Amino acid sequence: MNATKVVRRNALVFWRGWRSSMFLSVLGPVLFLTAMGLGLGSLVDPNVQAFGGASYIAFFATGMLAANCMQSAAFSASYPMMSKLTWQRNYEAMLATPLEVRDIYFGELAWIGVTLAQQTIPFFAVMALFGIFDSPLAVLAIPAAVLTGLGFGAAVMALTATLKTDEAYTWLFRFVVTPLFLLSGTFFPINDLPVWGVAAAQLTPLYHGIELIRGMTISNLTLVAGLTHLTYLLLFLAVGIVIGVRNLTHRLVP
Amino acid sequence: MPDDGVLIHAAGLIKRFGDFVAVDGIDFEVRRGEAFGFLGPNGAGKTSTMRMIGCTSAPTDGLLSVIDMDTVAESTQIKSRIGVVPQIDNLDIELSVRENLEMYARYFDISRFEAAERIDELLEFVQLAEKAKDRVESLSGGMKRRLVIARALVNRPELLLLDEPTTGLDPQARHLVWDRLYRLKQRGVTLVITTHYMDEAEQLCDRLVVMDKAEIVAEGSPRELIVGYCTRDVVELRLSDANRERLKGSVDGLVERVEWLPDRVLLYTETGEATLAAIQDGGIHTETALVRRSSLEDVFLLLTGRTLVE
Ligand SMILES: Nc1ncnc2c1ncn2[C@@H]1O[C@H](COP(=O)(O)OP(=O)(O)OP(=O)(O)O)[C@@H](O)[C@H]1O
Ligand SMILES: [Mg+2]
Repeated sequence: MNATKVVRRNALVFWRGWRSSMFLSVLGPVLFLTAMGLGLGSLVDPNVQAFGGASYIAFFATGMLAANCMQSAAFSASYPMMSKLTWQRNYEAMLATPLEVRDIYFGELAWIGVTLAQQTIPFFAVMALFGIFDSPLAVLAIPAAVLTGLGFGAAVMALTATLKTDEAYTWLFRFVVTPLFLLSGTFFPINDLPVWGVAAAQLTPLYHGIELIRGMTISNLTLVAGLTHLTYLLLFLAVGIVIGVRNLTHRLVP
Repeated sequence: MPDDGVLIHAAGLIKRFGDFVAVDGIDFEVRRGEAFGFLGPNGAGKTSTMRMIGCTSAPTDGLLSVIDMDTVAESTQIKSRIGVVPQIDNLDIELSVRENLEMYARYFDISRFEAAERIDELLEFVQLAEKAKDRVESLSGGMKRRLVIARALVNRPELLLLDEPTTGLDPQARHLVWDRLYRLKQRGVTLVITTHYMDEAEQLCDRLVVMDKAEIVAEGSPRELIVGYCTRDVVELRLSDANRERLKGSVDGLVERVEWLPDRVLLYTETGEATLAAIQDGGIHTETALVRRSSLEDVFLLLTGRTLVE
């Protein structure tokens, strides 16, 4: 598989700074969960049933598993990818070898998946230390979070392949990623939103990622709901891939 | 498959971007072992053609085969056997000099062991052995260019595509690149070169085509082009306005072609010295006068005009 060569190139660059990135991906969640659990969590009335019986820190952290992946993947597929596509022309260099566009595309997407797992696993482990999970099945939250992130990674890659400058990213993060983060149920249950807000939130892939993760970790998930969320996320990813491969081909092989 | 010695065959090759025609039905053949050049002003379609040969741009129409393979259907196989030096350097700035070559070798499925050997050789060849561990960013423009050339050789290509290999380099660096390209040619590597430097084309190319506005307007060896499109000599004169007028009256029939430039007059003739003597004997005073052999640059300007394209 030629795509693995693209993954290995990224891995080589990654290992340069692995100490600092590992450190950050562990220290980050520890600080974050501590601050949230002790700080914000103490402000939220523990008797409120809105979080499905879970503590606020459990509610919030499970949401963050997916939201972090969304943000991380969206970022990876934006500036760094534009750099390789437009500024440094790495993809052009790769394309002059037996690598083809699909190898570059799937190599980059797979690498985003690797980095998402690399960030999610420590976060999950810290959550486990905080005693958030009861069942070993909760570990399924990791692939669910990675899948959610990949969908956003593919979507932003599809966008990046069409861009000549980075101006659109300001808009993307300000008007798409951040609102999704705030309103898809990371911080508070979407039921607190007005009716139309609930309907809108239910259309977002992040909502389905979060619900899937929460269902498998801190509340009960029916099979139908689980499959619905999973299908939605897979479809989101599949559409992103189809459009992304098409756009990148148009761009790299005009 | 018959190896008739033709490595690249293009017939009626067309490249359009939307409505814009970048390459408009060109025909050419590149034979194994030769150095073939594309000359042409900015925007003539040289890079567009090179990219089609390099299988990173599909022809809109026409026929293009490289090493007897189709550049669209068999791009992967073609790419494994050619080397590409793009117009704009695209090194991996996050990797060192040596890692750039190692990574490229991996893309070509060259074993680690084999790659190590080739890379040592290549770094010597382009005189970058001392820089092996350096970051790419710290290299000078000439060094980067040499590294791109070394990278293009990592798969031992039989065909090397060079898009303006020496643009922006100082004379020392250019001569080093020319020397290396000459050596590659000696080893039997087929070279396809685009350039804006006429001396480069004369030095390196056995045959070349001149492109202008998406079409090929002339083809031949540098010598053939000069003989075919130009007189043997060119007389360059600087004259006062009065003498300019007098020359206008008398020059017809004396030379094959006259070019009246704002600052100079160019006379194209087979016999430069005699022409100049005849003019001066006729009483026309020349401020400066230079008789020289005609060059590829004269042919180029004749074919593509003196005005800027933009
Ligand atoms: N991807 C593209 N989309 C649209 N137009 C393009 C594209 N690539 C090239 N062109 C246009 O095609 C024309 C030919 O470009 P090309 O790069 O082949 O010229 P060139 O001969 O290499 O010029 P130069 O000497 O400046 O490098 C130019 O007008 C250019 O703007
Ligand atoms: Mg060009």
